[in-house]
Amino acid sequence: MSTQIVSIQPLSQPVNLGVGPAVFSPEVEAEIDRHIAKYPVLRSAILPLMFIVQRERGYLDPPGVLYLANRLKLRVTDIWEVATFYSMIHIEPIGKYNIQICRTLSCKIRGAGAITEYCSKKLGIKVGETTADGRFTLTEVECLGSCGTAPMLQINFDYHENLTPEKIDQILDKLP
Amino acid sequence: MSTDLIKVTINGKDFQVAKGARLIDVCREKGFDIPSFCYYSDLALQASCRMCLVRIEKMPKLQTSCTIICTDGMIVTTQSEEIEKAQRGMTEFLLANHPLDCPVCDRGGECELQEMTFDWGGLEERFTERKNYHAERYLSPMVANDPQRCILCKRCTRVCDEWMGEDAIEAGGRGAHTVIGTYLGWLDCSQCGNCIEVCPTGTLLDATYRHQTRPWELAQNITTCNFCSDGCQMSLGSRGGEVMRSVARDRYVNGINGEFLCVKGRFAHPFINHEARIRTPMIRYKKGGKLIPATWDDAIRHVAERLDTIANEHGRNAIGVVGSPRLTNEALHVLHKFATELVGTENYTTTDRFSLKSFFDNLGAPLATQRDIRNAKTIVLIGGDPGELQPLTGKQMRQAVRNGGATLVLVNSVPIRLREQAKVFLHVRPGTEDAIVLALADPANSALAAQKAGIEAEAIDAARQAIANTSGDVVIMISHEISSEAQAIVAQLPRVFAAEGRRFLLHPLPFYNNSIGAHDMRMMDAATSPAQILDAAGSEIRALYMAGSFLPEQLEGREDALSKLDFLVVQELFENDTTAAADVVLPAASYAEQDGTFTNNDGLVQRVRQSIPPMHQSKPDWMITAQLAKELSLDFGYEMSASAVFRDIAQNVPAYSGMSYPKLKDETNPVQAHYASGPSESGDTAALRDRVDALPDTGEKVMVTPDVGVELFRLGMLTDKVSQFHLLASGNPRPETTAISPLYQIQPPMNTDYTDKEKQLV
Amino acid sequence: MRIEAIGCEPLQLRRVHLENSRSLDVYRRNGGYEAIKKVLDGMSPDDVINEVKKSALRGRGGAGFPTGMKWSFVPKDSPKPKYVVCNADESEPGTFKDRYLMERDPHMLIEGILIAAYALTSKVSYIYTRGEYKYLIDIMDVAIEEARAAGLVGKNILGTDFSCEIYTHTGAGAYICGEETALLSSLEGLRGHPRMKPPFPAVSGLYACPTVVNNVETLTAVPDIIKMGGEAYQKLGTEKSGGTKVWSVSGHINSPGVYELPMGYDDMEKFIMEDCGGILDGKKMKAVIPGGSSVYIMRADQIMGKDVRMDYEGLVAAGSSVGSGGFIVMDETVDVFESTKNLTEFYKHESCGWCTPCREGTDWLVKVFKRIESGGGRPEDAQLMLDLCDNIEGKSFCPLGDAAAWPIQSAIKRFPEDFKKRLVNHGSDGSN
Repeated sequence: MSTQIVSIQPLSQPVNLGVGPAVFSPEVEAEIDRHIAKYPVLRSAILPLMFIVQRERGYLDPPGVLYLANRLKLRVTDIWEVATFYSMIHIEPIGKYNIQICRTLSCKIRGAGAITEYCSKKLGIKVGETTADGRFTLTEVECLGSCGTAPMLQINFDYHENLTPEKIDQILDKLP
Repeated sequence: MSTDLIKVTINGKDFQVAKGARLIDVCREKGFDIPSFCYYSDLALQASCRMCLVRIEKMPKLQTSCTIICTDGMIVTTQSEEIEKAQRGMTEFLLANHPLDCPVCDRGGECELQEMTFDWGGLEERFTERKNYHAERYLSPMVANDPQRCILCKRCTRVCDEWMGEDAIEAGGRGAHTVIGTYLGWLDCSQCGNCIEVCPTGTLLDATYRHQTRPWELAQNITTCNFCSDGCQMSLGSRGGEVMRSVARDRYVNGINGEFLCVKGRFAHPFINHEARIRTPMIRYKKGGKLIPATWDDAIRHVAERLDTIANEHGRNAIGVVGSPRLTNEALHVLHKFATELVGTENYTTTDRFSLKSFFDNLGAPLATQRDIRNAKTIVLIGGDPGELQPLTGKQMRQAVRNGGATLVLVNSVPIRLREQAKVFLHVRPGTEDAIVLALADPANSALAAQKAGIEAEAIDAARQAIANTSGDVVIMISHEISSEAQAIVAQLPRVFAAEGRRFLLHPLPFYNNSIGAHDMRMMDAATSPAQILDAAGSEIRALYMAGSFLPEQLEGREDALSKLDFLVVQELFENDTTAAADVVLPAASYAEQDGTFTNNDGLVQRVRQSIPPMHQSKPDWMITAQLAKELSLDFGYEMSASAVFRDIAQNVPAYSGMSYPKLKDETNPVQAHYASGPSESGDTAALRDRVDALPDTGEKVMVTPDVGVELFRLGMLTDKVSQFHLLASGNPRPETTAISPLYQIQPPMNTDYTDKEKQLV
Repeated sequence: MRIEAIGCEPLQLRRVHLENSRSLDVYRRNGGYEAIKKVLDGMSPDDVINEVKKSALRGRGGAGFPTGMKWSFVPKDSPKPKYVVCNADESEPGTFKDRYLMERDPHMLIEGILIAAYALTSKVSYIYTRGEYKYLIDIMDVAIEEARAAGLVGKNILGTDFSCEIYTHTGAGAYICGEETALLSSLEGLRGHPRMKPPFPAVSGLYACPTVVNNVETLTAVPDIIKMGGEAYQKLGTEKSGGTKVWSVSGHINSPGVYELPMGYDDMEKFIMEDCGGILDGKKMKAVIPGGSSVYIMRADQIMGKDVRMDYEGLVAAGSSVGSGGFIVMDETVDVFESTKNLTEFYKHESCGWCTPCREGTDWLVKVFKRIESGGGRPEDAQLMLDLCDNIEGKSFCPLGDAAAWPIQSAIKRFPEDFKKRLVNHGSDGSN
């Protein structure tokens, strides 16, 4: 039981990022509220919220990090330590389409290497790089749970399975 | 921990150990050494370094002894081929990516990894591959970082989180690319440097001391810090008469603070050998003239003559004697003798910001030690901001709440950072702390107090409940906001809440390293204050003998007071506003250049030990005063011995009776002054009630939590001699590049294994 | 890609080929939500736990711990809220069964969670799904809302005073978060580092409250256990491994897919060569990893003509383990050195970095593999790798260290030729 303090500034670390926090539309704020409501502890919402911020901002940029710190009543460093742990959260800019090719055993022995080479040549970038226009990033990721339809890749959140070079052409050329 | 005993067999020998004891501690205690990195007393358990593995019968895998609580009949093996292989294996893993740069690493010679490898590692390192590369960098003006050396013991992140409550430095990334750092790579924190101290390798290093010496070139000398009233024990490392560093590493010193120090204790030492130190006695022969260097003999004679003349012309009270709460007990004691026995004046005091006389005159319980605070079950903090002003107390409070399950009751007009740990926070209007004291002393006053303070009466009840429901120690802390009437009441609060099985302890929070000592040496006994003395300058007071100087806030609005004096003599380390008005300036020795004692806010009397010879012609304050007294025909008889002064103290100050330097030798077992305490007549609250009645009925509250460092980085006469403090005081601006210079590092080409994301962590 | 039952009637795969198999309607019309009705209609929580104990159901995520026993560890009289957490962080290489169970039959998982929540007096449940499976989270969300609208999720389920909320939660790409205590750390919003056991999650788990973490396939088995009774379920399998197991078959196989087999299906050779269509392009089988990458790799001659029984005891006797049931078949074109290197790189990427042996050890092992691959192999390297594995195994903070060591240890011991041919001395005159 303690007296409630209204509007005292939060105790986030005074890291001067030189930017203000990101601002989102009421719909996005409502979506964020729905996620926060699922948990008895505010901090548990950190991953769902990171994905939302990443979706809205392209990646987890400093304004996005500051927004999360304020919303979750955490320090900026707490956001950073969680964000850098997970492969799917990006604190650096990433292409509009993140082409994630599975490199683990079942895909590897069914031709993932050839798929990677084909994509690399087609896009003109090496694994880990982003095209100059910021449209495609090419990455190799670990087992995506699609071993029965190997080789395969994931573009952002969409699975593309049973790949051949022709299929890859179809998929990539059709992207908006 | 219980006192029941159980049987544990270690390496074939039976032992009786306390039930609930931790296996690693038990083994070490019984003489079976066990290596460890991540295990650190009173920090969250990790079991991540895997060095402390032992074999326990009936458990299938090797177990980390740091996580095992002993059970009756446990059979443990700590020395066997299997365990030795594991120990060699773990050190080999740690050295795999660790760069072989002991020759250029500051930690060489004090490095736990070096020692662990020698003691427990194998002869051969089979890693012949390319090591993971990370660039060296600065993380802050005080912290240099070489991530490649990191063995991820996480002591640094844990002390930042648990000791300091700041969580500024953390581990980012995953797996072998985990790096200790922070978002955007610049640490905006209290710069305490504890992360540097606990780091077992050369990953986090003192940036202010980088590449200056080797530890074996330094003479390490245990002394007491001269900044705040917590009295941390530190070891000053000096070489050739220059203090190079101040550390609390447990291989050098093991005081009440463990390895903890704050930014001032650790990094402000450059003031000691600073070039602006006053070098010789100086005399201003005529008003408005310049200070001219003189010999000690000339200066002492001059001072004696002038004081003698003024006393004869205007009476004894025309001489004021003002000390500093930073002086040693010896200096203050001799100063007091000078003021009362020699001069016989009633105008003596110190430049402390407030007096605790009323508190001590009405003391109703013992003072809490730092260990008591850590083990307390309820802590009541009235005013103050220990996190900024008494950092060790702040740390003990945080750990008491976090590890000890203590309840913190906070009464403050400012929402200080410690409110994160507080269960009950009475956020009062500024200046109304007295009201809460009144209400705690007598519940009948709750309504009045609540109204004046701008809070709900239920909140005060909650605070009272928290205290009354405690089974264990209660510590009540006060600071400078409350009046002397309230001090008297607080000092008697233990009587109000007395009960079986509950100990009440008091903990005052004065500002300076020897505020308590100043009080004990009776320098606060006279009924006057710095403000009153300055106001009397030129009228009742014609001359001032000062060991120390007035604070800027004391001189504010009284800028010409000192010039009204006929004669002003000042003993100081540096020239300042007070010496600018002085007729004679005498060079004083710093705490690093003399022997003595400080008494901290626990009432612990702790040694100050000389590390370097006095700079230039400076002398310890007490010697100057004694010499002056001798010139005025009163020989105190101390010869040149500080311990003789202390013997005199022990004979004349009842709270210090029986003490002597040999008894104070061991910093791990500090001696507490035995203050007289008991019931007093001033339990009556009428005077306080009148004060509270007179408080206004409305007022604005302070809503903003001050930034970290608002007090720690404040530039005072000592800290403004340190360039890094100027950076911190101006907001710790992030530099263009954090790359470390000047050492050129041979950089192998980046591992192609790194993703872009990982490269950013560098 | 095939999804079917072999050697038994489909239990978990009963509805996967039905049109609109995800809908509540189809689920109900095909035996769905009968079990929860039966439970709420007069079984006590202890009754439910006893049925699960009788069923000899073992955790299907990989550890194989008896589920009924795990449930009975939750202290009934604890005043703290209890949690059921479904581990849908399927990331073990070769494993994809949970994906199709959730994709085709989400209500089966919901019903399983409801029964578990009832048995453990839990009111809140989370489905922790790996971030890459986002489309499955969307599917589960739709199914949960359908169930809620029908009074099957939320307050007063089916008009009783049993209430249970089910929420989906996303991971973000970390294999370590499939370890139950690391999952709880991640669910609490922290870095996904595992935690010390004891205390076990059943006593102190999510938010320091009693928690049971179960794999998707474990929970989806529960409705059938209730419907047919624990004993009947157990009889479908073997004494110590009751019921059916869903295997994920991939690699150089003609019919990769998701297969439900009775526990103790006693001919692994038949399973590979007939049920799954045999080796791709008629090649010869060389190696099989039957239980996800973390189990010992098997030589063909450990399977062919050996009547390997596919349950926990049978596979251990044959020199491997059921694990997660991620069944990877490799033909003669596979260089086991390369396949092991591939898996070691996986473990190095996924190591959380908490403890010394796993963090430094997997990094070192990958570097050794790379050096050998680029021609710098030395005769002592095999022993070096085995020694490093020995220093990781049993000494790491969590089983990921063991899981990283086992593939290498088994590969070197069982396929020495693939290693030896690269570990030759390079004399200064270029001779071997």
